Amino acid sequence: MELEAAQALAKGIATLSMFGSAIGEGYLIGKALEAMGRNPDVSGTIFTRMIIGVALAESTAIYALVAFFLI
Amino acid sequence: MQVVREIISIEPEILFTIFGLSIADSTMATLLIAIVVLCIGFFFIRRFTMVPTRAQLVVETMYEAAYDLIGNIINSESKTKKAFPLVGALLFYLVFANLIGLIPGVEQVLWNGVPLFRTATSDFNTTFGLALAAIIIINVLSMREKGIFGYLDQFFKFGALWRGFRKSFGDGLLAIIEFFIGLLDIVGEAVKVVSLSLRLFGNMLAGQILMIILLGFIAVVIPSAWLAMNLLVGVLQAVVFASLVASYYALATDEAEEVAEAVK
Repeated sequence: MELEAAQALAKGIATLSMFGSAIGEGYLIGKALEAMGRNPDVSGTIFTRMIIGVALAESTAIYALVAFFLI
Repeated sequence: MQVVREIISIEPEILFTIFGLSIADSTMATLLIAIVVLCIGFFFIRRFTMVPTRAQLVVETMYEAAYDLIGNIINSESKTKKAFPLVGALLFYLVFANLIGLIPGVEQVLWNGVPLFRTATSDFNTTFGLALAAIIIINVLSMREKGIFGYLDQFFKFGALWRGFRKSFGDGLLAIIEFFIGLLDIVGEAVKVVSLSLRLFGNMLAGQILMIILLGFIAVVIPSAWLAMNLLVGVLQAVVFASLVASYYALATDEAEEVAEAVK
């Protein structure tokens, strides 16, 4: 197989990491919304923590993006 | 796609060298931020009065917000006072550094035909240096807190091994597993450096590359949505970096574990 074909295939496989990140973030946001529904007083705090949690859960997908640009 | 490497290079462009140290475009951006912040400090913050003016209110509100955020993560007042100079400086520097590439006109300043400034954190050297320095400082502070033998005991758990074998043979075998987990903690420290730096670098670099690709595609109204997204991501990643450094500091100088061991 030529190098460019292998590189193109590798780039495609590297984008499969989106699935895990999306599932994880969806679960996290769902749990946060549920907690906000149970206890509306602390909605602001929960929302702030949720945003930080989403950024952390995104990080493995960002590693895959960096690998994508390096290939 | 070979085109991507010509759009924006992952390696920074070396502009010139001073005394053998090479100055790149991201270094110039960091120097610019330092000069701007020093000017703000010198011209505005020195004139703070007891009855605040509007500019002073803005600065004080930002400071209070950052202090509360870090204080919620490190749950102790004295430790927050000790850690806030480092973590707060990281937070404010990163907010500026992530956003400086989005100000129109900053990246157009040319010097011998090459752009002089660039988003400082879209260069892996910057983020790796920041993460490495932060983790080294946290380890040194943890060494100072626990003493050098207490610090080494976290990783090479000979104390737990001896105590386990003294109780019974089964407990000794469990203590061997704890010993190996302690060894893995050394790898954990290196992983902290890599994950902190790669997260920030990846977000910023991907923002720049996608912005360039999007502008090549439709340059009229659509890129403003991506610009807004980059503003959000810039502030958010700065907050995440600073909060993670604060939480690693809180974990490293934690005394609660020793109390639990003494009670056992």
